[in-house]
Amino acid sequence: MKILIVEDEHKMAEYLCKGLTEQGCTVDLAANGIDGQHLAIQHDYDVIVLDVMLPGLDGFSVLRSLRTVKQTPVIMLTARDRVEDRIKGLHDGADDYLIKPFSFLELLARLQALTRRGRAQEPAQLRIGDLQIDLLSRKAYRNNTRIDLTAKEFALLAIMARRQGEILSKTAIAELVWDMNFDSNTNVVEVAIKRLRAKIDAPFDQKLLHTIRGMGYVLEPRAPEAPLPEHDEHDEEDG
Amino acid sequence: MRHSIIARLVMMFAAAALVIFSLIGGVLYAVVKNELLRHERDGLVTTFNDIEYMVSRVGTVDRWARVQTKLDTLTPADGKVRFWVFSNDPQFSYGKDLAELHDFDYDPNNIGRLRIKGKEFPMHTLTKVLPAYLDRPAIRLTIGVDTEPYFETLRTFVAAMIGLSLAGIFLVILFGYWIARAGLQPLKKMSDKAQTLSPQTLSERLTVSALPDELSDLAQAFNGALDRMENAYKQLEAFNADVAHELRTPLANLIGETQVALSRERSAPEFEIVLQSNLEELDRLRSIINDMLFLARCDQGEAATSLVHTAIADEVQKTIEFFEFVLDEMQMSVEVVGDIDAKSMIETALFRRALTNLLQNAIQHSPAGARITVSIDAQQKDVQVAVSNPGEPIEQRHLPRLFDRFYRVDSARRDFDGVHGHGLGLAIVKAIALMHGGTAFASSRSGKTTIGFTIGGKAA
Repeated sequence: MKILIVEDEHKMAEYLCKGLTEQGCTVDLAANGIDGQHLAIQHDYDVIVLDVMLPGLDGFSVLRSLRTVKQTPVIMLTARDRVEDRIKGLHDGADDYLIKPFSFLELLARLQALTRRGRAQEPAQLRIGDLQIDLLSRKAYRNNTRIDLTAKEFALLAIMARRQGEILSKTAIAELVWDMNFDSNTNVVEVAIKRLRAKIDAPFDQKLLHTIRGMGYVLEPRAPEAPLPEHDEHDEEDG
Repeated sequence: MRHSIIARLVMMFAAAALVIFSLIGGVLYAVVKNELLRHERDGLVTTFNDIEYMVSRVGTVDRWARVQTKLDTLTPADGKVRFWVFSNDPQFSYGKDLAELHDFDYDPNNIGRLRIKGKEFPMHTLTKVLPAYLDRPAIRLTIGVDTEPYFETLRTFVAAMIGLSLAGIFLVILFGYWIARAGLQPLKKMSDKAQTLSPQTLSERLTVSALPDELSDLAQAFNGALDRMENAYKQLEAFNADVAHELRTPLANLIGETQVALSRERSAPEFEIVLQSNLEELDRLRSIINDMLFLARCDQGEAATSLVHTAIADEVQKTIEFFEFVLDEMQMSVEVVGDIDAKSMIETALFRRALTNLLQNAIQHSPAGARITVSIDAQQKDVQVAVSNPGEPIEQRHLPRLFDRFYRVDSARRDFDGVHGHGLGLAIVKAIALMHGGTAFASSRSGKTTIGFTIGGKAA
């Protein structure tokens, strides 16, 4: 995936570049609006990350002149959380909008959502290690043993399975499973993960649902010999 | 001196003085004029009686000549007193310009006025017809007195009156200015005192007892305003301190942990732990800042947009579903009571957020196995949503302050089951209620705590 980042804040540009490169993206950087506009128009990117407050030419202007030429997906970044700004950005043709401080995971999820748009329909069956999920009949199996899940537990599992290998923050999980799109300061997600873990991981040797402390949760098969720091499995010991 | 009280008072004094002097002057003028006229009439009548007596007993031409001589001597050289005798027989006539004056109108009982050629003022006259006597036919006797002294006196009186009044008004202005200044001295003192009040001397007040009655109300009102301001000021100070404190704790953790981590060589997994711990603190900071920004936007008067006509019970049910696992874990249950059909214009995300905070609060403060109630109450204009839970009673004094930012009933109690509440949850509930044109309320009675909010049905 080829990404252009237009951001004047040096530290942010640097970590975005590093993080996205490590995710396998090709990243170009522009530190001001004029360079950003030039690069965005001259080259073909899969997605552009565009800051609103930029020296030279602000993000809205860059977006407007870009939209006269091409329809590259654009995510706007802003420190100002005002409804008018959001409306203005979306009106000018931005595809998404993130407010600083945002989590890197959220940006990654949104980038993937933007580039995933219009892809082929997802399969009805998902497989993570020996965990098998049937999205149509809403049933889950491990080693061909049926795992009894409640509706919400299954929704949680399905959402994590669709994004296997992707770290999902608590906020993202709350939004995807319960449609609660705000920081709730509750322990709902922890409790839900604990219950799901008790059902899909506890009886089995290979653990699939992992806690990434400070970031969120990921569903993926890990090689058993991989060194797992003690703290990392902290929650699994609880469950 | 825009809107100067002293100037106003002096103007009013002057106006009052003008009215008083005018009234007194007018009345005095009328009295003096009347007196003068009476005096003149008395004089005229006396003279007339004397002459009448003399003339009435003269019946022959012979003696008439003596009357004429007598009248000549009685007529002063400056012509201030004049005599006329009109008669059909010219032998019994007397006086100048008889022909011209022959036909003037007269009132036998009253003083008449007669204009004489070459005289500035008219003469005051008294006229009477005397019956015939011996040879003499009936005659008409007229005596005229010059009115110059009368009018001169009146004119002098008026001039003196106006002069005195003007001088009096001028004095009233002078004294009025002095009186007003002296009278307003307490006000100036009060304003001087008020000038000295500053944020550093917030607790100082005007001393009401030292002020005159008229000012004590004002001073009391002023002190009341100061009380409210001091409260707001203190709240703001406390709030700033709370914010700083809330931010300082995670910052201290971040700095300390990072410094410890860097102070000696460590393995990658060890650094990983530090970074993960830092991330947790940073997330706490982010969450506080986001909530503060949310509250700030509400303070700036941002109202809920994208309002949708929604069945309240549906949203309540969805929010309860969110807590399904937590409730299960705590063996708690939630019951929805009230107007299940109530509908209102709400921004669903905000509504869920408010109710989430209320439910979270109720779960935190209830014993395991408790039964929580969500009541929906459709009132005339708005819909009331309240969450009740059994729990320790909250003292009455805490109730209205529960919605203050960072307010904690029990300052020692902070985290619950690893959940970071940072004291903004209920403030956000209130903010969301305000954004929907409603308000938040709390009560604590017989072991049951109820906290809720209203949503204006026709919210802007």
